[in-house]
Amino acid sequence: MTGWPARDANAASVRLHRALYVEDAITEAASTFAGLASFAIRTDGEHFVVDVSDIARGVDGEVVAEFCNFALANSARRRRSGHA
Amino acid sequence: MTRSRIETLDPGTSTLTLSLDVGLYPRDVLYAAAYVFLDRAYVLLDRDGSRFVVHFRAKRPLDEPTLHAMAGEFENELLAQALRHQVVDANQRIIEDVVAVAIAGAAGDVERGGTGLEGAPLIDPGDAEDGFLDDPQGIARPWEPGKSGSE
Repeated sequence: MTGWPARDANAASVRLHRALYVEDAITEAASTFAGLASFAIRTDGEHFVVDVSDIARGVDGEVVAEFCNFALANSARRRRSGHA
Repeated sequence: MTRSRIETLDPGTSTLTLSLDVGLYPRDVLYAAAYVFLDRAYVLLDRDGSRFVVHFRAKRPLDEPTLHAMAGEFENELLAQALRHQVVDANQRIIEDVVAVAIAGAAGDVERGGTGLEGAPLIDPGDAEDGFLDDPQGIARPWEPGKSGSE
């Protein structure tokens, strides 16, 4: 079962299930946070794996967790509008 | 077992993990319920076999009773969103018809077929004498003293 990556790490990997997250939505979220970290998206079985590196420090909030919220919101919006 | 359940709850990290059977609610309902919590928690959805797994991490420290309350609120939200989903599904055709008539009316192109508006008196905006400038009951007249023009 996938969980949260460690806080305050310089790099982290997030596993997003392909049945629940849309790749374009993840890419859009990565673009939103491009100024705060580097994102590499790949697939691994039933999951998209997002490798997050060079995470900015001193940012108000958690970059990886906020990225997950954006990916979820974008996926919900795209599924509802029939883009996926 | 099909109901949702708390898998983990850790006040130390303000995290909570719930799981629910995939057949319990449609995926759109899960999205909608999760969306409501995005302002106060980080939410990560996953699937483990026949169960959806929902990971929460609160944006501010929460104690155990509050995390339990959050779990209950999420289940309530699932139920509310499921009902909303059901109502929208049941009324989809009516909603589409009402919106179509409204848009067609605004565009000045009301279809004359099965809308129930056949023969309805419509204002002609190009005709100044068509009635919409008339004010037979004085509704448009200001009521404040000194502004009504007659007091």
